[in-house]
Amino acid sequence: MASKNNSIDFELEKRARLADALVRTGKGDRSAFETVYRATSAKLFGVCLRIFSDRAEAEEALQEAYITIWNKAASFEAGRASPISWLVAVTRNRAIDRLRSKGKAGFASLDEASEVADPAPLAEAQMLSTSEGLTLNGCINGLNQRDAHFIRSAFIGGATYADLAEREGEPLGTIKSRIRRALLKLRSCMEGQS
Amino acid sequence: MTILNEEDIAFAGEYVLGLLDSADEAVALARLATNAEFAAEVEAWRLRLQPMVEGKDESPSPALWDAIANNIPKATGQDVETHSLRIWQVIAGFSTSAAAILAVMLLQQPTPAIQPPPAAPLIAALGSENGQASLTARYDSSSGMMLLTPVSLKTGKLYPELWVVPADGKARSLGIIRADGPSEIAISPLMRDFVGEGATLAITPEPEGGAPGGKATGPIIASGKITIV
Repeated sequence: MASKNNSIDFELEKRARLADALVRTGKGDRSAFETVYRATSAKLFGVCLRIFSDRAEAEEALQEAYITIWNKAASFEAGRASPISWLVAVTRNRAIDRLRSKGKAGFASLDEASEVADPAPLAEAQMLSTSEGLTLNGCINGLNQRDAHFIRSAFIGGATYADLAEREGEPLGTIKSRIRRALLKLRSCMEGQS
Repeated sequence: MTILNEEDIAFAGEYVLGLLDSADEAVALARLATNAEFAAEVEAWRLRLQPMVEGKDESPSPALWDAIANNIPKATGQDVETHSLRIWQVIAGFSTSAAAILAVMLLQQPTPAIQPPPAAPLIAALGSENGQASLTARYDSSSGMMLLTPVSLKTGKLYPELWVVPADGKARSLGIIRADGPSEIAISPLMRDFVGEGATLAITPEPEGGAPGGKATGPIIASGKITIV
């Protein structure tokens, strides 16, 4: 029990330090920015590698992501968002921009997302290594397979509603209402387990 | 305090997944900037979905830090200088990135047509996350003059109306501005108390002559907080 509490304290302290470094980065503090980089580059490189399987592309995306982080750190609000969710969101969005600018959005990942039909769907070791990942994985597996596939194609592959409707040859409204229903189902499943 | 309904909750999820077209994304950004409950739901979706993009932690090549450090401005002794350098970095960043994330952009454009007020202690940068609408405001509290410089501002057949939202959360109109060039407007003495640090400036598209009855009818297409420089 005591050791568990200690580890929670440690996580909170790490998070507070990262939030502080990010706020200082927003004020133009280069050494704080380096602190952010040292603490997060391995994790954010992992995000880039999920989106780009090519290592050189993933490094380019990571470099762009950190420059964006430097430029936008002033808009990070410590009270509103956790530093890691903010950093992951900036990195994911920057990498998806890069994917879209290369005309690759939605496609590579759609193939990859067909893994959803496998007996062990989404069984990335990393995703299953945290309780949050396990919850998400379990709840995504509870969705209709096509809906799960759409959600992954959007988040990892950069597919928009328009891309999905075109690819599936279905009206935009049909795709939208499917995904909206699936999102609410996913949320209520995850809320029920947390 | 607003309570989100299912539609709002799904909308926050669609935004985080990146499914929306640019018009809907602009609406999501405006809500993100102005509605705390919606912002909290966006954060909740980010946390829910984050494991999907988390790969295995892996160190990038050691040379990457140098490449990044060479691409950000060198430290200077003066904050102001650093600040303006960073502003230009943001412009550079946005010109290559169509859909970037957080709402407020800092932008500063030299304006050959109208000279900025000599002492402009207050500045606001109004932006949208996707960079579709952005402008800067400089305000000289001694003269009550505000200079607005659009970088990009498209309102179609409607007109951009400027609002100030002070701590009480009530939007007050400051009038219609030009979409295609700088506007210098005189802030009425009644409004001057509201235009201060921490208040938000926002733009909505409105019919000719301004929002009927002083109530905004269009979505917020750009917003930003006033800060002292």
